[in-house]
Amino acid sequence: MIGHARLLGTLSKLVKRTKADGVSIAAHAKVRRVFRFAYEAIHQDVLQETIDVTVKVLRERRVGVASAETLTPDGLTRCVKAAMTIAQHSPVQADLPDLPSRHRIQFSDDYIAETARISPVACVASLKRLMQLCKGAGATLAGSFVTGADEFAVANSAGVACYTASTVSGAKLVTMYRKLSGYVSGVHCDVTRLDLHDLLKRSLSQSLSQEEPVTLPLGNYEVILEPEAVSELVTWLGYTAFGAKSVQERTSFMAGRMGEQLMAPELTIYDDGMESSSLRLPFDFEGTPKQRVTFIEKGQASGIVYDSLYGARFGHVSTGHAMPATETEGPFPLHLGIASGTAKVSEMIRRCKRGLLIPRFHYVNGLLNPREALMTGLTREGTFLIEHGKLSRPVTTMRFTQSLLESFRHVLGVSRERRLIADPSQELGCAIMPTLHLASFAFTGRSET
Amino acid sequence: MTTRALPRELVAQLIRDLKRRGVDYADVRAESLLHESLVAEEGRVSSISLFESAGVGIRVLLNGSWGFASTPHVTRQNLTKTLAHAIELAKACALINKQPRPLTPVKPAKVHHASRFDIDPFDVPLSKKLDYLLWANTTLLGPDTIKRATTHMDFFKRHKLFCSTEGARIEQTLIESGGGLEVVAQSGHEVQTRSYPNSHHGALAQAGYEYVKSLDLVGGAKTAQEEVLQLLRAEPPRAGETTIILDPTQVVMQLHESCGHPVELDRALGQELSYAGGSFLTPEHLGKLRYGSDQVTIVADATVPGGVGSFAYDDEGVPAQRVELVHKGRFVGYLNSRESAARLQLAASGGAMRADGWSVPPLVRMTNVNLEPGQATLDELYHGVTHGYLLSTNKSWSIDDRRLNFQFTTEIGWEIVNGKVGAVVKNPLYTGITPKFWGRCTGVGRRTDWRLWGVPNCAKGEPMQLMHVGHGSSFARFDGTTVAPAK
Repeated sequence: MIGHARLLGTLSKLVKRTKADGVSIAAHAKVRRVFRFAYEAIHQDVLQETIDVTVKVLRERRVGVASAETLTPDGLTRCVKAAMTIAQHSPVQADLPDLPSRHRIQFSDDYIAETARISPVACVASLKRLMQLCKGAGATLAGSFVTGADEFAVANSAGVACYTASTVSGAKLVTMYRKLSGYVSGVHCDVTRLDLHDLLKRSLSQSLSQEEPVTLPLGNYEVILEPEAVSELVTWLGYTAFGAKSVQERTSFMAGRMGEQLMAPELTIYDDGMESSSLRLPFDFEGTPKQRVTFIEKGQASGIVYDSLYGARFGHVSTGHAMPATETEGPFPLHLGIASGTAKVSEMIRRCKRGLLIPRFHYVNGLLNPREALMTGLTREGTFLIEHGKLSRPVTTMRFTQSLLESFRHVLGVSRERRLIADPSQELGCAIMPTLHLASFAFTGRSET
Repeated sequence: MTTRALPRELVAQLIRDLKRRGVDYADVRAESLLHESLVAEEGRVSSISLFESAGVGIRVLLNGSWGFASTPHVTRQNLTKTLAHAIELAKACALINKQPRPLTPVKPAKVHHASRFDIDPFDVPLSKKLDYLLWANTTLLGPDTIKRATTHMDFFKRHKLFCSTEGARIEQTLIESGGGLEVVAQSGHEVQTRSYPNSHHGALAQAGYEYVKSLDLVGGAKTAQEEVLQLLRAEPPRAGETTIILDPTQVVMQLHESCGHPVELDRALGQELSYAGGSFLTPEHLGKLRYGSDQVTIVADATVPGGVGSFAYDDEGVPAQRVELVHKGRFVGYLNSRESAARLQLAASGGAMRADGWSVPPLVRMTNVNLEPGQATLDELYHGVTHGYLLSTNKSWSIDDRRLNFQFTTEIGWEIVNGKVGAVVKNPLYTGITPKFWGRCTGVGRRTDWRLWGVPNCAKGEPMQLMHVGHGSSFARFDGTTVAPAK
């Protein structure tokens, strides 16, 4: 761990030393320890340590951006010099907003020492126990286990100086038994509260069916989507619809439809970087505190996220959703959520005469027609047919092609219970999602066994 | 800004330390990367950024277990700590791993290699690059229906030093250049996109600035603008089974998803199950399974000039090779590594171990996965098609976790009626099952229409690695394909 004093101190000194009209420096230091395993062997184990520093300088309303993976004085000086040179060549931006000034930041305390310090031997011992349990159940295990720590810091010449540190742990488990597989994932900032045995039990419950998978006719099915499946769909909405850039460019289905009832009143979709059960991040890459933003309020289009640039363009304050200055896709929601409903998943299943229970999707793509939130993707492990209120048989892989706008208009239930979904070995961000019961989902293709 | 000097002496010292520690095998990679990205939007430069990355990754094999650790803090003290971490990981994994992990042999090389280029893009004045970028961008503007005009350029310079305890010492300098544009038009609820010369930043080559100059972005901007306006007025394709002809820009994605990924041997051995999935091309099918028609020969060629999947040596010191994956329709080869090749008892690795940077270990990756050219002219491919579609430029992509059921949409299509190309169609979608689809390949275009593209964001692994891979193809015709409008 670099630490508050060293990381923020280095950035603040650099800000003071840089002779420009304005300078903003953001840093993300990350450590990840990843174990990947399959068929009773660990085939990959990695300790990865990275540091990303992005420098943005303002000179006579021109912007220069450079980034580097270094904290050395030499490396940072080179980075600032590069940003200054770029600013010289950049065009004047009449609508360039001022750098965000100091805000009150609500600090989170999600740095758990036990997670940061867990030894490789302790990790491997946990995995060995899981493999033994899985073998005892007659199944085979594959998956990954990750622990890590993140530090974020932002300092700028308008007085911003903020720092936060957090830890993360997560596991993905695939259990295989005969022709069936089960899958679950779990994530928590505290590795001691990541219940690997419970995850294994849930994965095994999907894979230990004695029934042969059934191939179903194509068509529309009632579906019960578990949190991971919901997260994959809503994350695509975050990418294609909930950021100010996609609204400005008219590719978002929200463009020109603010206030319209676009989805069922049961659905409230939001972003909240400080939600207590999420992987919290109190501020964005400009050092602006994260605001809770509701995109869909009881089915109505109600808001989008902004950074300082798009906030200025739209006449709105930044909502604290700036990405690193090197990114060109504009502000982005990293902490999506759907508000809890009142239903129990067991009731959803009981009420369903014929439908599908889907734990997760594979390879969802939301670029087919973003104006209609048209997406495609496939089912994967653990998909079951529901008949007369009961899980009956596992189902072979099916492809959906569905407008989410259409599907999210007919919601039969939103679960009270929600789950935190994240992939800490991969990308920044997380989602807190309930299980959704939808009246209709179009399945347009199937794979082969 | 130039790439940082490689820490040659520190790396040599690490290799001496690793030998002293008695590891079975180890390699050390020091890398330094410079990436310049230029973007113009709506007639003005919207982003200029420079990214510099440098660090060291250490990979150790000890008692049948790998350990990998990396650091950006390149000092003797930090590197010694990183080496200890790698050994500690390998030792911990030995609690589970009981089988030996043999590697196929490789002759340790001592070489310097630099990729070919005429003009170093980092020597070209920024103002010159921006002038060209803006010229193309403003060409896209004009009609009120144009809502977004984006032009971009990307330049990469990567220095790599690979040393192993077997005595390899390989230095490589690879330069890549790319550029392109995208225009979005809207009329009412209709929103359409057109890219040039390829979507998803696919015009990327292992070359200098001369490659970007050759792209004719200004001429392409005019065509893209015309076509996006046509798309606003176009009809969708008819749903049904028909003949499609894919132009090289779309064959890229078809190759990538339905051939490149399933022939990765680590995936076929189950090592990607928890993330990207498995493969239908499991080892018992090698040499036997009919993957496609006789027209289909697919190679992984890390030696092809200009490919972003080209190199002299892979990231475990194996020389670049041209490996047949599919020979006249039969599945005959994998992308593999020294370890996975040994598991299949192959004599040598095919040289496909690549890491996207110093901070991650190499994985089995695509190099340049190419559909070998056939004999047909484009007119010969159209010939006999009573009704079908010519499809171009990938828009969306999706394939199942065994790489069988795929679905793609393209930005644009043209109706083919009685062997002639007709009206533009919007939102075309096609879908199929990999071996059936390739089995209905009834023609591949000739070498003069063959083009090499890049995919700069091929995601794989945990932690995720985004690799630059190449794909070359001519036009290709597929009969009996399910086509539908994306709606």
